[in-house]
Amino acid sequence: MKKLLALLFVAVLALAGCVQKKSDVEGGGNADTSTGEKPTIEILGTAAGENDLNILRDQLTKNGFEVVLNIQPDYGSFSAQKDAGNYDVALSSWTTVTGNPDYAVRGLFKTGGDYSVVSDSNLDALIDKASTLTGDEAKDAYAELEQLLVFDQAYIAPLYISKKAQGIYSAEVNPETVLLPKSRAQVWEAISFNDESLNASETLVLHQAIASLTSLDPIKGNDGSINTLNTNMYVRLVNLTDDDQVVSDGSLSYNHVIAEGNSEYYFILRDDINFAKVENGAAVDTGELVSAEDVVFSLNRAKDESSVPDHRTYSIHENIDTVEVVTDLAELENAKVAGTEETVLDALSKELPQAVTEVVESEDQVDNAAGKYQVVKITTPNPFPQVLNYLAHQSGGIVSEKQVTSINTFDVASYDPNTDVAYGDQATVTEGSSYNNHLYASGPYILVQKNDYEATFVKNPAYRIGTEYEPKITNISVRFIDDNDSALSALRNGEIHVLQTVPETKLDIVKSDTNLALNEAESNAVTYLQFNTKGREVSNSADLRKAVLYSINQEEFITYYQGYKRPAVSTVTPLVDTGLKLEANRDKVTEFLNAYNEGK
Amino acid sequence: MKVISNLKLLLKITQEYGNAHFTLSFSAIFSLLFLLYSYNFNTQAVRPIVLVFFVVYLLTTLYVWLISKSIKRDLANHGNIHIRTRILGYPLILTVLVGNIFASSFGFSLVTKNKTPEYTFATYAFLTQLFIIGVSGFNLFKPYVIDSFLLVMGAFVLLAIIFAVMIILVSKYVTQASAPKWMLPIGLILLLPVLTGNLFSLLLGYGLIKKARQKDASSIEKWQKMWSKILRNSMAVFGMFFIIFMFSLSVISPWTFDYDFATQNNYSAILQTPTLEYPLGTDDFGRDLFSRIVFGAQISLIVGFFSTIIPAIIGGTLGAITGYYGKKTDNIIMRLLDILYAIPGILLAIAIIAAFGANTVNLIIALSVGSIPTYARTMRATVMQISNYEFVESARALGASDSTIIFKHIVPNSLAPMIVKATLTIGGAVISTSSLSFLGLGVEPHIPEWGNILKIGSTYLETHSYLAIFPGLCIMLLVLSFNFFGDGLRDAFDPKTN
Repeated sequence: MKKLLALLFVAVLALAGCVQKKSDVEGGGNADTSTGEKPTIEILGTAAGENDLNILRDQLTKNGFEVVLNIQPDYGSFSAQKDAGNYDVALSSWTTVTGNPDYAVRGLFKTGGDYSVVSDSNLDALIDKASTLTGDEAKDAYAELEQLLVFDQAYIAPLYISKKAQGIYSAEVNPETVLLPKSRAQVWEAISFNDESLNASETLVLHQAIASLTSLDPIKGNDGSINTLNTNMYVRLVNLTDDDQVVSDGSLSYNHVIAEGNSEYYFILRDDINFAKVENGAAVDTGELVSAEDVVFSLNRAKDESSVPDHRTYSIHENIDTVEVVTDLAELENAKVAGTEETVLDALSKELPQAVTEVVESEDQVDNAAGKYQVVKITTPNPFPQVLNYLAHQSGGIVSEKQVTSINTFDVASYDPNTDVAYGDQATVTEGSSYNNHLYASGPYILVQKNDYEATFVKNPAYRIGTEYEPKITNISVRFIDDNDSALSALRNGEIHVLQTVPETKLDIVKSDTNLALNEAESNAVTYLQFNTKGREVSNSADLRKAVLYSINQEEFITYYQGYKRPAVSTVTPLVDTGLKLEANRDKVTEFLNAYNEGK
Repeated sequence: MKVISNLKLLLKITQEYGNAHFTLSFSAIFSLLFLLYSYNFNTQAVRPIVLVFFVVYLLTTLYVWLISKSIKRDLANHGNIHIRTRILGYPLILTVLVGNIFASSFGFSLVTKNKTPEYTFATYAFLTQLFIIGVSGFNLFKPYVIDSFLLVMGAFVLLAIIFAVMIILVSKYVTQASAPKWMLPIGLILLLPVLTGNLFSLLLGYGLIKKARQKDASSIEKWQKMWSKILRNSMAVFGMFFIIFMFSLSVISPWTFDYDFATQNNYSAILQTPTLEYPLGTDDFGRDLFSRIVFGAQISLIVGFFSTIIPAIIGGTLGAITGYYGKKTDNIIMRLLDILYAIPGILLAIAIIAAFGANTVNLIIALSVGSIPTYARTMRATVMQISNYEFVESARALGASDSTIIFKHIVPNSLAPMIVKATLTIGGAVISTSSLSFLGLGVEPHIPEWGNILKIGSTYLETHSYLAIFPGLCIMLLVLSFNFFGDGLRDAFDPKTN
């Protein structure tokens, strides 16, 4: 018995010797070598960003910060907290819907910008300078801008670039016809059922989270509720491809040209698109051509802040100086294309149905088959090639001059939303007593009516009939489902046919479902931390900001999202790869923290 | 002693026979579950370890079935259980090694004829300690253990040995009515392990002290009667076991578990399926689910306990006052409480959290406020009844002040329904805590709390279901345990069942 006990004792001791203790593993070498008390960082975010906040909390804590999380349930209360300045860093995200780098910095970081809390004259100068350049020059300028914005001053700390993941109910819808552009909204006219004979009879069901539509007047809104709808209801002068190239395919123009000097732009218009309107629940061809006059009218009101009440997009178009119809063919013959010796006329004349014989002023004279075209010229006060991206944006949609002026008869200054009905008011298309659909659509589809459950669209009977851009499917319903998980369930049982955003955590489910196809693409959505620029420790100390910046390990974010994110440097990264890179560096954190503590 | 000749009645009142059936069904259910889990339908492969468990549980089931036959035969032939049958219980005790708490506790109850409450407490204190050692032992598979781990585990093994010795001593020397005098210091020592949360040890110690001092025979009898009634109810006992086990685990977890495994992200181990290193797998941040659930029990139990005890005290006091004074006092207080009663509890909690922010203290307050009226009503009804008894009249006649009468004479006699109600509602409080965390209104998301853990699990329900199943099971089991234990208490306190 005694022997047994002794043996047991020895065995226990031996086992105990094998066990690694925590203090053995860490070796007493705690990384926190900075002197002074731990700086406290308050991170503001929404409940939807809880995962990012947790990763941040973990990284900052491990780098010697005291972290306070301020998690708000929704975007509204998040904005309220942000406006009140109750944060050190705010978890923010930005999607560049126009696909050009200027849009990714101007509103966000320029002094006085729509969403800007930054005020730095050096930064302003860099933003302005970069906007005038193209190619490698632009790349260098944006690199300089990122260096200042992120590495020198650390106004923001980048986290990652998201990817797009689209779920398609491939049991019915042909997944190859469902495009997933980087910036542009969903392309409805291309979508087709597997069985093409169903295109005329079956309804395609799409999805949108927000049921309350800001306005169906393209210039009166720029948000998730109407971007996709207006993009498909109004044709624009140019179009964006899946990878953000500005092209004339799928737009109102045959060709477009940047003239020498980068501040004059020419567009030659097609004559196979008419406005459609809704009569008795069906779309009818109004017989009115989408003409150069409508283009001039639409773009002039787009850049004029006082053209409509609640103008939400004039800042996008503030770079347009004049919009006019070209009536002199000689002007086109004399002007040269930027960077080449080719004339504008030659550039515009490529692959036309008939060579240009005459440029006409009035829409009545247009006859492409006879060589009579309308050409629109746009000028910018400064060289600004990125204006084309803005023209491809939803807010550059062409509306009917005749229809809009006949509806918007009120005086803009004394507009009263209770009595005056503006063009595109969602009440006029909502089913019920206020229903009075006055929309004139120049795009492939027109909205018939909506309710809280869905919005129904029909194809424009006079949109590029007989070409590859003619809408394939006749009836489209956009189902409003607020909760993304419910929307995914709806997709899985075929209740909706396309889900634009599948969350990272559910990608495996979509992949493993034989009824579904997953479409993945790059996106322009960047998630970053915005530092508070007023009244906080981080506002005054660039060292403290940089200590936070170098605490961020983007690789860990990417691992957490199972590779469905990409490293970012700033909101420009998805558009211009400047070659810069942010890497976590604990030594720099310590260095900057020490500098911060000494500077106190 | 009256000899009961009716076999059916005899079978019904023989505790061992009922326990045998109880054990039989649970072992059978578990062996079935193991059988199902032993085959991986996705990879078409057999899980050998699970298969071994299945075989062991199946054999146990068959063995218990044999015992139950044997008990039945004994009862038919002799009217009591033969010593040979009792000896069959010893091997069953060993099933604790495969975690079969049902079979091993049945084994303990079968081997002795002398079933005092203290014997049951000693066996469960022992079982609890073994389970604690087993669960904490999983930490050995981690890359490292916390510094105090070995010391504490050594102490636990020592404790388990002490409890094992106590089982033998108690079964030999403690009777229904008394214990030898030398048990008194042992009883006092046994009060100490309560620091590890092992409440069975406390009950054992208290019982031994009571019986060894031999001061108040009636109170010993009361103690004996109450506990034998509760302990007859197998579900209540297992409920109590699980509650105490969870409580003890949450008390000792800081000494044997590393909090870093539960809160620090580990991106090299994201969404791992259960292995020895991560017994319940890891979540999407690479945190060990096992450690998270163990630490999560702390908050769930703390909030559950305090959000029950606070309204019980406030509501109880208000109820006692209204019940005793009646008339205007009653009307004013009760109508005010009625207003509070009209507001749905969980909505009130959400409103309070939204207004004052989410943290543990606010969570407790939010959950407490809403349930004050129900406690007040329960207390008021009992007090109204008791304040008419003669002993209250006599106290009043002797010139005792109102507060003395209420808090010294009436309240102690009206506690029984309050205790039952509290036990039954504590489960609800645990659920409310988890619900609020699930909705993002509870504690901060990285802090392990069962609702928080479940929330992450819900996202991965289809791809990594274990993330939702384990915290869900824990919440379910804890709430069930409270309910079963509450039921047992109610039966014990209910005068109708006397």
